[in-house]
Amino acid sequence: MTPSPWVSRAAPPVALLLLAGLMVAALGVGDLRLGPARIWAGLWHHDELAATILWQIRLPRLLVAMLVGAALAASGLVMQAYFRNSLASPGLLGVSSGGAAGAVVAIGAGWVSHSLLVLPAAAIAGALIATGAVLILARRGTSTERLLLAGVALNALLGAVTTYVLSNVTLSYERNAQILFWLLGGLEDRTWEHGAIALPILGAAALLWPLGRPMDLLSLGALEAQSLGVDVRRLRRRLLALATVLTALATAVAGNVGFVGLIVPHVLRLLVGPEHRRLVPLSLIGGAAFVVACDLLGRAAGGLRVGIVTSLVGGPFFLWMLRRRA
Amino acid sequence: MDAATPGVKALDLVGVSVPDRLHEVSLALAPGTLAGLVGPNGSGKSTLLQIAAGLLPGGGSVRWGGRPLGEIPMIDRGRGAAWVPQEAQFEFGFTVRSVVAQGRYAHGDDERGVEEILARLGLTGLADRPVNRLSGGERHRVLLARALATGAPLQLWDEPLAALDVRHALEVLVLAGEIKRAGRTLLLSLHDLRLAHRLDAVIVLHEGRLRAAGPPATVLTSALLREVFGVRAEIAPGLVLKLP
Repeated sequence: MTPSPWVSRAAPPVALLLLAGLMVAALGVGDLRLGPARIWAGLWHHDELAATILWQIRLPRLLVAMLVGAALAASGLVMQAYFRNSLASPGLLGVSSGGAAGAVVAIGAGWVSHSLLVLPAAAIAGALIATGAVLILARRGTSTERLLLAGVALNALLGAVTTYVLSNVTLSYERNAQILFWLLGGLEDRTWEHGAIALPILGAAALLWPLGRPMDLLSLGALEAQSLGVDVRRLRRRLLALATVLTALATAVAGNVGFVGLIVPHVLRLLVGPEHRRLVPLSLIGGAAFVVACDLLGRAAGGLRVGIVTSLVGGPFFLWMLRRRA
Repeated sequence: MDAATPGVKALDLVGVSVPDRLHEVSLALAPGTLAGLVGPNGSGKSTLLQIAAGLLPGGGSVRWGGRPLGEIPMIDRGRGAAWVPQEAQFEFGFTVRSVVAQGRYAHGDDERGVEEILARLGLTGLADRPVNRLSGGERHRVLLARALATGAPLQLWDEPLAALDVRHALEVLVLAGEIKRAGRTLLLSLHDLRLAHRLDAVIVLHEGRLRAAGPPATVLTSALLREVFGVRAEIAPGLVLKLP
């Protein structure tokens, strides 16, 4: 199926409209429902109750949800081009688990109280270790089997690290909640501080923006891209660094939210085709919209964590993709 | 210096080596040469082409148009030489047209000549189809079209004929003749020694070493074929295929 040019042209404005609608819904839905008028009044502090709810709870949560979604979707897109495999993504390859393990180790060691920068730095370090492990394994080939099996092993190993550290450092009454947060991800109690930690995602996205065209060439083969004039070594280094940082920052503030990096680029590719100059911006918008929508669904379902919702949606989707390939 | 200067070689390899794969191979091709690279499986043909294309690090020196490869910036290499891989696998469904247009990456994606090249290779009707849905032969023609779209004076094709039916293979040889007449240089690896006879020069690789090079009639002797390929060569009347 070749996507029609009409869909390609309509996609960015439609995605932005969708995201805007979801943003209004995310601000309105909750224990106290707020209509658009009250949201507006609250944003400008004309309605103090609404203002408190929005500025203290819903806005930071929305900001974190959008940044996390954008980061994970873009990261998945980059990994798919890098490994030339549309099943590669930060969750399946274990990079998210690396970020979560890094963050948890920093929390467990008590380093996070020193500076706001410690948590993201530790998540980046953990994600880098996982990325390094994937790269070593991928040296002998990036077949689907190889990448997925490597991901299975890394996810299990890093999940064990996360669970072990949390079992030792958290008080028993909040232990399970903490383990759940880091292994499955969540957006509960997110503050402006979390938003600040995740804000460099915008910088990474800006750096990714101009790499769309060379990513097209890379996604059809590294040697081919090099022969056409792409500085492949430099491009790959940049892409890997960006994908790792994007995943790590998302994980540092929301735990290991799965399947976003797999689903969003895949659906967008079906809609607008494989050209990365379109896919990079659309993945950022689409990823934000997807996570906000999943969070809304989870809240509507009585407080399901966002990572559980993305996995409930993503798991079957992934199996469908595997079946289609076979 | 450039390829237009008399005496300057389009491709000049001196003592190129890759451990266990290629040993001290030297060869030079003048502009406007149509040369074939032959040798048994594993003799180093693909490795040599990748070295010549600047895609594989190795010992020795590579020059394009007299210029050492190390002095040529990456983006300029995309205009200097085009390489066609042996395998034509595509993970993503780019359209035929957009893959061919990738040949213009080093020209700022100007898409110049893309439509003409699509037509020349009989791909116009497939231009909007995703490449991952094409047959093996069609995918190879897309890669040839992309290589031509670069406009590069040096074309390095790894077994461009292997996946093609006899008609398309003959058409590619006609195309090769056009490339040569335009003053460009083409080095292609191939297995069909009868087709190799139609080229200006053949280069014979055996176990990673240059065994012989020169006009096909003088190089492809019975003695050499027996030694390198382990076959007995006979000239016999048989099926001859030509384009109508």
